[in-house]
Amino acid sequence: MLQQWWLQHKLKKLIKNCQLESVRLHYQYLLAQLNKPILKTNLLALDIEMTGLEPKKDQIVSIGIIPIIDSQIRPKFAQYKLIKIQGSVGQSATIHGILDKDLTNALTIEEALLWLFEQCQDKVLVAHHAPLDLQFLQQALLTTQQRPHALFAIDTLNIDKQRQQRKQQVLKTGSLRLNACRERYNLPIYNAHNALTDALACAELLLAQLSKIGKLEEITVGQLLNKY
Amino acid sequence: MDNSELQPILDFMRELAPFDSLHEQTIKQCCQTLTIAYYSQQQKFVHVDSNEAQLYIVRSGAFEVVTKEGELIDRVGEGQYFGFSGMLSGEQVINQVRILEDGLVYHLSAKMFDQLRANSYSFDRFFNQAFAKRLRNQGSIKNNHISTARITSIMSRELAATTYDASIFQATQLMSKKRVSSLVIMKQEKLCGILTDRDLRDRVLAKGFNGDIAVEKVMTKNPATIEPDALVFEAMLKMSELNIHHLPVMCEGKPIAMLTSTDLIRSQSSQPILLIGQIERQNNLEELIQVSQKIPDLLYNLIASDAKAIEIGRILTSVTDSLTRSLIALKQKQLGPAPMKFCWLAFGSQGRQDQMAGSDQDNALILEKETNEQEKRYFKQLSEYVCSALNECGFPFCPGNIMAQNPQWQLSLQQWQQQFSKWVSTPNPKALLNAAIFFDMRPIYGEKSLFDSLQTSVLTITKNNDIFIAAMTKNALQSTPPLGFFRSFVIERDGTEVKGIDLKHKGNALINDIVRIYSLSAGITEVNTSKRLESLIAKQKIDKEVAMSLLDAWEFIAHKRLTNQGLQFNNTQPVSNYILPDNLSSLIRHQLKDAFKVIHEAQGTIRLKFLGQF
Repeated sequence: MLQQWWLQHKLKKLIKNCQLESVRLHYQYLLAQLNKPILKTNLLALDIEMTGLEPKKDQIVSIGIIPIIDSQIRPKFAQYKLIKIQGSVGQSATIHGILDKDLTNALTIEEALLWLFEQCQDKVLVAHHAPLDLQFLQQALLTTQQRPHALFAIDTLNIDKQRQQRKQQVLKTGSLRLNACRERYNLPIYNAHNALTDALACAELLLAQLSKIGKLEEITVGQLLNKY
Repeated sequence: MDNSELQPILDFMRELAPFDSLHEQTIKQCCQTLTIAYYSQQQKFVHVDSNEAQLYIVRSGAFEVVTKEGELIDRVGEGQYFGFSGMLSGEQVINQVRILEDGLVYHLSAKMFDQLRANSYSFDRFFNQAFAKRLRNQGSIKNNHISTARITSIMSRELAATTYDASIFQATQLMSKKRVSSLVIMKQEKLCGILTDRDLRDRVLAKGFNGDIAVEKVMTKNPATIEPDALVFEAMLKMSELNIHHLPVMCEGKPIAMLTSTDLIRSQSSQPILLIGQIERQNNLEELIQVSQKIPDLLYNLIASDAKAIEIGRILTSVTDSLTRSLIALKQKQLGPAPMKFCWLAFGSQGRQDQMAGSDQDNALILEKETNEQEKRYFKQLSEYVCSALNECGFPFCPGNIMAQNPQWQLSLQQWQQQFSKWVSTPNPKALLNAAIFFDMRPIYGEKSLFDSLQTSVLTITKNNDIFIAAMTKNALQSTPPLGFFRSFVIERDGTEVKGIDLKHKGNALINDIVRIYSLSAGITEVNTSKRLESLIAKQKIDKEVAMSLLDAWEFIAHKRLTNQGLQFNNTQPVSNYILPDNLSSLIRHQLKDAFKVIHEAQGTIRLKFLGQF
């Protein structure tokens, strides 16, 4: 309850001060959904591939998104964008498989952010290990808008972490990785590190996690949402 | 969408029958229109909205389709489907779907499903429950083996015929005009004989007759004939056995063509004929045993050439028949002629002409009358020799001792009639077990009239015998086909999971049982399951659709059984009727399941028809 009240307060303040139209609409949607059951909310699973793990130094190379509407994943509205970077993808290509030449016709980071917030005007973001992805987005917003922006998301890693802590299980290294979590829910294992595949994997994981929570009708967006 | 294919979904769907048969572009389109949901056991049931029908494709987890009454319809795991029956029939689905294991499910809308069915025949065929339609068009069951060609494909269309009272002069003029070596001779619209070049030489010229003599006096009376749908192979066999060169082809009691040995030359050198020729030429047991060692090779060549199972069964049985005859003749050469008329009978698979690998022998003797000590000794020596020799040739002794060498099954015609009558009047479990074997009988050697008399009297007592037929039905219903497959298991109708399935006893034998019941009830003389069905259809004793479906199911299961045996043979594993689900593709699993369903439904029909139960 306290968390919900605090989020509400934060969002109201942010809406007042937000310069970017699409981000403000996103905040407004979040505010309106805070007390709504999670089942009735439009969600957008997100995954980002980067050139490295440091938001201040590394850059975004691709973004994959896939919406969950009425508790069902909609591949029809899945989208994937490549993003131009300064310099070379370097060694990171071995992880995400994207080469410099693939980025010739890619979007600029400004265009990508515009597109992404357009997509989540009426959706709540979901990511696995959300802090990392959102920090990269925040860094990009800071660079392009010269202003810091708070962002909110449901973190599937966090849900599983809490679940396991509640069961008083000791967390083993790697046990919260996307595929490790998926295995616990009898979900198929996918090849990781394509932004769209990982977004799909994250969306499926969330559905699985939600179906395990008792009294699902009573769970609100506010209870699961984190601020970054 | 730019480069935004969902690779995991696409990869999964591409491999999944029947989607795997669609164009790449169509599969992509499907993947896009899917929606994905997760079902967990906590929800207990999948909420199926009957107003918004869709195809459920299981990506992970396990589900069970159950009727309102709780009867298990299907258990499905990864790569299987539910929810489509309503979309096919247009009826409201009242089945429940229970969640056994948490899992991911793709939903395909009814609109897309219908569109795919309309645009792809193979897709429609996969889901369409009209099983018969599906299997009849199976591309995998080809019919290209030389031995499995039918007479109709090689016989000449023109029939040269004259009447019994024509003179030899007129007849020979006709033969030379038509350039044929034989004529069909008719009397009152019926075939009464044939006249061949050989008859003219042996019975006219050699005897000093002139051309005025009537055809009737010199023709070959009551010639052997053949049906148009007989195999070329069977015609060859008949000519070779009877040492003749002409066979009138009879259709509904009327001659339609004359099949000559010249017609058959084209298809000579085929392997089975060579083998049978070899069998007939051997003069001692050692050589026969050696020749029989080629029988498995013949079988696996037939399997490899993808001949129809039904025809493989007929060919293999012909070889066994020929071997049996050769053995009897061989022993009789030593023992001298039999002290009375007798007939060597085959039962079971040899009787039905559906022998496959590893069939054991089921045989018996009908004797003209009861035997004295001396006569008994003759038949003992003959039968013991033939049965042991068959055993050595690869047809093992019958574990149930249903063999001609067993004195219990060396009976006079009258004793046989009494025996059958006892089984029919007091159908206890043992009698019914026997019935399944003994009622599929066929004469192999000797006096056919003994067999005919026995069969006539048997059918007289079974025909319309409600009590006996009901007992047979009850017995046949004790074994049921499996429900289907689930992961590495076969699911029985009660939901238990077993490792593999005996396709003979849980498949073909159940169909044989059903068809036998219909046939005995209708007094049909055929014993081969497919011929019985044809006869039942002709006499309108069975619904044609049901009969065709049973025939297709029989062929499909037998074909799988044979391919499995071919695989086992190639891998030098022991050959059996047992099949493990792991070795089956999803399409084959689906089709086998449909074949089982046909049997299940036919069992329901005989329960209703012959037992009056639902």
